[in-house]
Amino acid sequence: MPSAPQRLDLLDPADVARLGGIEIVAEGVVEGFLAGMHRSPFRGFSVEFTEHRAYQPGDELRYLDWRILGRSDRLFVKQFEEETNLRSMILVDASKSMAWHGAPERLTKRAYADRLAAALALILLRQRDATGLVTFDEQVRHVIPARVKAGQWTRIVRGLLDTPDGQGTAAHAALQRLTALLARRGMVVLLSDLLFDRDLALTALRYLRHRGHQVIVFHIMDPAEVELGGPPEVRFRDPESSVSVVVRPRELARAYADTVRREIAAWRKACRRHGIAYHHVQTDLPFGMALRLLT
Amino acid sequence: MSFIHPLALLGLAAAAIPALLHLLQRRIPPELDFPPVRYLSAAERESARRLRLRHLLLLILRTALIVAIVLAAARPLVRVKGAGGGAHEPTALVIILDNSPSSGAVVDGRLVLDRLRVAAHSSIARTTSADRVWLMLSDGVLRGGTRDALLATVDSTRSGWQRLDLVQAVERAARLVEAQPLPGREVHLLSDLQSTALAEGRAEVPQGVRVLAIAPGRAVANRGIAAVTVSEGAAVIALSGSAASGGDTPQPVPVTIRIGGGRRGEVGARGLATPEGGQAVTVSLPAQSLAPGWWVGEAQLEPDELRADDRRPFAWRVASPARVTATAGAGSFVAAALAVLQEGRRVATGRDVMISGGEPPTGARAIVQPPADPALVGQANRALASRGVQWGWGPAGTPGPIVTSELAVLNGVQVVRRYRLERAGSGESGAEGVLATVNGEPWLVRSGNVVLLGSRLDTAWTALPAAPGFVPFVDALVNRIVAGEAEVAAAEGAPRVVFRTRGADTIGATVFGPDAREADLTPATAALAIAALGGKEGTDVLTADQFAAERFSGTRRADVSGMLLVFALLLAAAELGVATRTR
Repeated sequence: MPSAPQRLDLLDPADVARLGGIEIVAEGVVEGFLAGMHRSPFRGFSVEFTEHRAYQPGDELRYLDWRILGRSDRLFVKQFEEETNLRSMILVDASKSMAWHGAPERLTKRAYADRLAAALALILLRQRDATGLVTFDEQVRHVIPARVKAGQWTRIVRGLLDTPDGQGTAAHAALQRLTALLARRGMVVLLSDLLFDRDLALTALRYLRHRGHQVIVFHIMDPAEVELGGPPEVRFRDPESSVSVVVRPRELARAYADTVRREIAAWRKACRRHGIAYHHVQTDLPFGMALRLLT
Repeated sequence: MSFIHPLALLGLAAAAIPALLHLLQRRIPPELDFPPVRYLSAAERESARRLRLRHLLLLILRTALIVAIVLAAARPLVRVKGAGGGAHEPTALVIILDNSPSSGAVVDGRLVLDRLRVAAHSSIARTTSADRVWLMLSDGVLRGGTRDALLATVDSTRSGWQRLDLVQAVERAARLVEAQPLPGREVHLLSDLQSTALAEGRAEVPQGVRVLAIAPGRAVANRGIAAVTVSEGAAVIALSGSAASGGDTPQPVPVTIRIGGGRRGEVGARGLATPEGGQAVTVSLPAQSLAPGWWVGEAQLEPDELRADDRRPFAWRVASPARVTATAGAGSFVAAALAVLQEGRRVATGRDVMISGGEPPTGARAIVQPPADPALVGQANRALASRGVQWGWGPAGTPGPIVTSELAVLNGVQVVRRYRLERAGSGESGAEGVLATVNGEPWLVRSGNVVLLGSRLDTAWTALPAAPGFVPFVDALVNRIVAGEAEVAAAEGAPRVVFRTRGADTIGATVFGPDAREADLTPATAALAIAALGGKEGTDVLTADQFAAERFSGTRRADVSGMLLVFALLLAAAELGVATRTR
């Protein structure tokens, strides 16, 4: 009995990563993702309204025109036309904390972010959006300006591969530099574990939002960072700051989980307040599911 | 507090295990990279106080758990008050079970001994393997042994025939337990507490020894035969006893005597002792019993509350009249006494026994007085020596009263002139053959078939010829003493007569029976008993219920190991709760 063909975008990220390099993985993920979506996933932020048509069962309710419904009591949905001049910049945190995984069988946060960024860039470039890349740690490491020309995706992938794991993280510096690079209104996607000063980073993101950019934040965490585990007693060391603390994980697990939940909630609340889309992603989440968060 | 297994307390060292584990766990932990240390630090800051409290609580709970288990294993005993059960500290205990004859009395339809035996049984049953227990009966012997052995002894104990001096018994018991290296020391006196048993002396009870006596029952009327003596064809029966606590009017007491038995047949006689007649009744003996020989009889009273003293055997000898001749030197008093005895057919004329006054002894048996002339003493001594007599007269002795256990009639009679009787050749006065003394020196001795007197039987030498006992004395001299016969003796024991013999001759008898004081069932008052048995400090006279409650109360302990185990379980549950709930 032949096995059913599997979509890479729904497989375990670590299993997918073992299939090959970033390009192969990203292309496989995007193919599966787009096949599942049947149409561009980003309708609504890179397209413009063209006409109405009558509602048919199966149409998404969010595209109902409620004003027509209120006036004429008839159901119409909005039709959109894709644009090709959207400028997107993908920011990938390359700090040392991203080069960590809680278990050998899982991808590091950086590896996960690279593959997710490559897939996202491929989707954007296929719908002819100008897409660029910025990698950073304590400083901006690599900048690929947003273009739509052929070979842009290869350059982006090369940029990801050429960026080594850094040391500290200074996200606000990278974001401030990005504002100079993004003169036109566009979309900014930040892939990071957000282990930096929240207020400074939010200041920079809020500035981008103020300039009219659509800002999306992927908060990438390893599952081991959410649920504390380990030996009965252990000294945990921050790979970036070398600050260490001796704890008994079993004793501190509950308090730690509460702290992480509060931190995520704080990020989510702050982002929502400033019109920033926030998504918490764990590295065991299939890439397709992560991409679907954007739709 | 004390412990049944104190060695188990060594386990308390294990109480340090939780603290040691805590310290040992403070080793260098493994180091791991963990990016979100900032979250950890925040979580730890928030939980630091809770975690410190948890650690402290767990340390306390675990240490207390070990301490509780170790203490439970050591079986701690804590002092408790009140009656009832519970363990007690190791105790040295002497149980005095008074099974003297009076314990056979029936009071309120029940033997006194049964009541005492129940208390003894209960006391022994309450002892533990850590106690040391002895049992003393009226024979005064301290019996050790296992609990089961002592219980068996108590169960098999019957009323005996020996009297128990409670003062001496308690003093001995108190000394014994006081010498034991145990924390508790008790003497349980289970007796009817006859006042006669507490009349003499006062027990010295060491400090720290508790004497617990069970209170006696009510007084009951009793009458017993104290002694029976036979003389001049009549039996004199001395009675003893006690009146009931209600003070009933004394009633006449019928007495029956039975004499003889066996081939001689049995003859009997009856008498009646009235209250006006005092404590003795005289019953004439049947004529048949006046024939020569040893006779045995038994006097009996009507049955009453105490049967042991209701009968008493007696024995006497009816001898053929001795054929006696007194020389001229024997003196007029001797001649007069012999005349009286001859008239009463106690002696006859003959030469079997010669009574002389310093002349050389002749005849088969001789009674010799010192010569009146001191110059003849040496000659008389030589004559005695030639006959093989080992005694002779020495220098004059000092005046004084006669003291003797052989002839009651002589006791206290004054002697004003005498010679010291000395063993020939040695100049010493040995005790062998001495029948009476004056000032500790022999006055009347027997050597073979010769009896020597230290004084002449004359009022110039001694008051004896003028005393009422002179004729009986001469009677005893010629009929019994010179023949080497002893008086009928009395002794304590089961009623019976035991004859003493020398060769083929019967020379005496011992009549056994209970001590006459046993018949007096009047119990001592609590105050008298306490005073006689050690005083208020350490002696209590208690009812049966009080006795059951008070024994071992000085050292009564409750074993709290069960409570400790329950406490340990609660601690374990609390530890489990804290350890799991706070994770």
